[in-house]
Amino acid sequence: MASISLLNPKAEIARAAQALAINISAAKGLQDVMRTNLGPKGTVKMLVSGAGDIKITKDGNVLLHEMQIQHPTASMIARASTAQDDSTGDGTTTTVILIGELLKQADIYLSEGLHPRIMAAGFDKAREKTLEVLENCKVPVEINKKNLMEVANTSLKTKVHPVLADLLTEVCVDAILTIANGTLKPVDLHMVELMEMQHKTATDTQLVRGLVMDHGGRHPEMPKRLEKCYILTANVSLEYEKAEVNSGFFYKTAEEREAFVRAERDFIDQRVKKVIDLKRSLCDGTDKTFVLINQKGIDPLSLDALAKEGILALRRAKRRNMERLALACGGTALNTFEDLQEEHLGYAGVVYEHVLGENKYTFVEDCKHPLSVTILIKGPNKHTILQIKDAIRDGLRAINNTIRDKALIPGAGAFEVRAYNELLVYKDTIKGKARLAVQAFADALLVVPKTLAINSGYDAQDTIVKLVTEDRLTPDLVGLDLATGEPMKPADMGIYDNYIVKKQIINSCSIIAGNLLLVDEVMRAGLTSLKG
Amino acid sequence: MDFTREIFEVSVWHLCPFMFGAHFWNQQRQTLVRTAPAAQVAEEPAPQNDVLYREGLNDYGQTTYTPRLLSVDLAGNLAHLPNRNHLQKTRQSAEQNNLSTVDQLEVREQPQVPISEYQRDLLKGAIESGKNYQLADTTRSWADYLYARYHPRTLNVLPDLIRDSDVQALATQAAGKEIWDGDAFNEDFCNRIRQYVEECEGLQGFHILFDIDDGFSGLASKCMEHLNDEYSRVSFVLPLHYPRIPSYNQADPRTAHSIRVVNSVLSYYHLSEQATMFTPLATLETIWRNNTLQSRRMPGLEWKTGNLYQTSAVLAAFMDTMTLSYRLRQTPQSLVRFCENVCPVGRKMTAAAMALPLGMQQEQDLIDYMDHSGDHSLLTQLTPGCEAGTSYVVQSVMARGIPTSRLKRPQETAGPQLRMAAYGCNSVSQMLQLYYQCSFHGSVTNAASTPLPFKTQLPFPYEIFQPNIATDGFKVAGGGERESSTRVESTPVLAALQNSTKLGDHLDNLHTQTHRVQIGKLQSYSQSAVDREEYETALDKLLEFRDNYADQQYL
Repeated sequence: MASISLLNPKAEIARAAQALAINISAAKGLQDVMRTNLGPKGTVKMLVSGAGDIKITKDGNVLLHEMQIQHPTASMIARASTAQDDSTGDGTTTTVILIGELLKQADIYLSEGLHPRIMAAGFDKAREKTLEVLENCKVPVEINKKNLMEVANTSLKTKVHPVLADLLTEVCVDAILTIANGTLKPVDLHMVELMEMQHKTATDTQLVRGLVMDHGGRHPEMPKRLEKCYILTANVSLEYEKAEVNSGFFYKTAEEREAFVRAERDFIDQRVKKVIDLKRSLCDGTDKTFVLINQKGIDPLSLDALAKEGILALRRAKRRNMERLALACGGTALNTFEDLQEEHLGYAGVVYEHVLGENKYTFVEDCKHPLSVTILIKGPNKHTILQIKDAIRDGLRAINNTIRDKALIPGAGAFEVRAYNELLVYKDTIKGKARLAVQAFADALLVVPKTLAINSGYDAQDTIVKLVTEDRLTPDLVGLDLATGEPMKPADMGIYDNYIVKKQIINSCSIIAGNLLLVDEVMRAGLTSLKG
Repeated sequence: MDFTREIFEVSVWHLCPFMFGAHFWNQQRQTLVRTAPAAQVAEEPAPQNDVLYREGLNDYGQTTYTPRLLSVDLAGNLAHLPNRNHLQKTRQSAEQNNLSTVDQLEVREQPQVPISEYQRDLLKGAIESGKNYQLADTTRSWADYLYARYHPRTLNVLPDLIRDSDVQALATQAAGKEIWDGDAFNEDFCNRIRQYVEECEGLQGFHILFDIDDGFSGLASKCMEHLNDEYSRVSFVLPLHYPRIPSYNQADPRTAHSIRVVNSVLSYYHLSEQATMFTPLATLETIWRNNTLQSRRMPGLEWKTGNLYQTSAVLAAFMDTMTLSYRLRQTPQSLVRFCENVCPVGRKMTAAAMALPLGMQQEQDLIDYMDHSGDHSLLTQLTPGCEAGTSYVVQSVMARGIPTSRLKRPQETAGPQLRMAAYGCNSVSQMLQLYYQCSFHGSVTNAASTPLPFKTQLPFPYEIFQPNIATDGFKVAGGGERESSTRVESTPVLAALQNSTKLGDHLDNLHTQTHRVQIGKLQSYSQSAVDREEYETALDKLLEFRDNYADQQYL
């Protein structure tokens, strides 16, 4: 009888071997689901909800979220995977598979009577050694377009179709390089706006060096296309309604009310007039044009006045777009129209509207020094767009990681094979039973090249043997060529992974696996359990 | 200024309001269908549908007319409704998607959700008005009887929460706030609000409906804060109480009660700060210590106390009638003034009352009906645990469905009516005004009326009407019954929003409940527990708010 049941007879418990079995089987189960997704040749999962909504994905993290996991251990692993995604944006599937494999290998020794504590201690040692190997394998890189393309491509190919991956790679790298503007610092990814358009096909996804907004002019006579535009960004209300809403009028007679209304109206008209005056002084007689982008509302009367002057006015811009506009076009976002000057204005070569069904899009392009860009995601349907969106996010993260690390790790399972060989050597220097744990850790690492091989249709053992032997022969890292099934040098093929991703995986996986192994009792006792 | 003055509705809802929202929009669609052919008749006193609706285009270039509505919901509640609804049909199957032609595809499918019989017929376009769909017993979620169609932007699903019919998935305010703060939800939701607002020419304000008993109240508080920060418009908020005793995950009745009280206290605090006016609604007599679930009774109606489908329909009828006063064509009334009228100095909380059906007999005139009403009130309260009383009341009354011909007899045949003071009144609103002037002491009444009756066709639960109500919603004369094969098609309704010092009792009731709350115990409840400091501030503020209702200060 577990002690907890004396204190709380309603608690549900599972002890020792049983607890371990629960954990291991959960980890294995999750691994089974996810393993087919790993690598560029992995399969895609289609999730269909009860109402028939479709979601197609290869991204481990997306999958885990959609599957609505209830099992406590499985959800713990899923959380590790989410943490991996939050901090690096890649390697989520690998995390799940590696945790599963670590527990699976450990299980073999545990069933022969090895104490979990020794196992966990051995894992710790093996982890340190692996990190050391990782440090040695790291290839310092120069930050240039070619190198960034390689790492982004490796990451994207595991998530979308190769043709699309190539296109997205180019888009992502260009986006980051434009924003980075020659500096070698990681960029603020918020400055890359992702705008979706349900239109054409996925391969029409493109980079816009400027901004795309999901609304347009709300007046039929406003220009649809303007060139050489001054851009005024503002956060000033041009709505009459607002004043009345906020205060309410107190009046005795109808005339008095009229007077109030006129006074209020006049107040707004003054603001509109200021904008029009500026436009006249700057644009009249030249071929320049004027665009007003407002975060607050603009009512029909103000729109009318602006439209007469040929000004394109947009209302209710996204808060974050105000910041982006200032970066993309220059100028400053104004909170008042007092003292309106030319230097407050931004500039864009062309501003035009695109209408798609009931949605309007406004493109602000051809900016002088765009420090903020937009990736315009296109796709024939919602799930394609979602898939691309997830992929682009990860691609951008991968590039940003590279800029931060200034180093890469050869991909295609090369690092895992090298670590395996190094761990086998290291194992002999360890005394006692802990060396068994190191062996288990080494075996577990091989799950990555193994799964890659299986997913590409090759024999797992065959491949591993080939890779391991080849790796012992050369000082260079050797990975698996998924096209032929033969060993190759990933450095030659341009297959690179992020350093930080690998580091994170090794760290989090071994820690979680260790934790799960040391669990000898699973208790479920809420405040008051309903299942009493 | 003749452009439309839009109202935008945000519903943060769970079970009860869920259904409620569906009823409300079903009713809107009824009036919509009805007024469409009558468009040429400009004098038709129809509601201005543009106030709540927007025009749009779907993927096929067809015009759609959908409510300006945002709703938040748990994943399971949508049942058969796909995230994109039928106005925007999806035709692509996975095979056509060029991304998956090369790779192998593995399909994981959740079991198909059964579609209710009513929805099946609706999709086929073959609704038989005579058929009994027994919605009251079979309805599992609001989607089962949804007649209205929504814009794809409307539905927001909280994917990580699974609906469980017995347990509130989102228990505490803090849990709701956490969801709002979550990056993914927040950005998307705020963006949808912005998109709706961007379309509006002259936004008046917001209707906000939410469930006050669970975590959705937290979500709603945050949402109101956002709306005030960003758009600073009027908000008319309707917090709804669950018509059953709610149960929360892993909580015994005592803890459940505490959670409910704390949620209410925090919500009232936020409402008193953020809302322009708020009106708690429930069909129960009182919320606290109501173990037998004593329900309000309306003469002529009979609903099952715990039935969400039926009770929510009653509340929806109230909302539809009350909001009519500023939704009619050519009405001078606006949402701002509507709120100001019933909320004198800081008394933001108002009470709801309604008479559905009105209780007038067929062939009876309004003037006689009021004369015979004697001392008993025309209305039944819909705000739990408070009565507005009959003196010093500030109220707005809305009457609908009483034709002017039924006001009084023409002079030749009037007989005893001639002697009544009210005979001088020439409209329904005038007469109501006079009636309340006489029967309520020292009160202010704003009465309005429209001949437009409340439609009670499917999917409205017509079965709740008692047999002595005729098909047009008036009482059958002489205690007779309507023919059993016929149904009530429409009905006159009288609704009111009232404000008086007596509403302080409602707040006192809530405050009394807080003595039994063990806040310490709640702090350890689940991951998102109650913040003691916030709770204590809320209690203080609640008392401050209650002072607004003290007698010596006003009136």
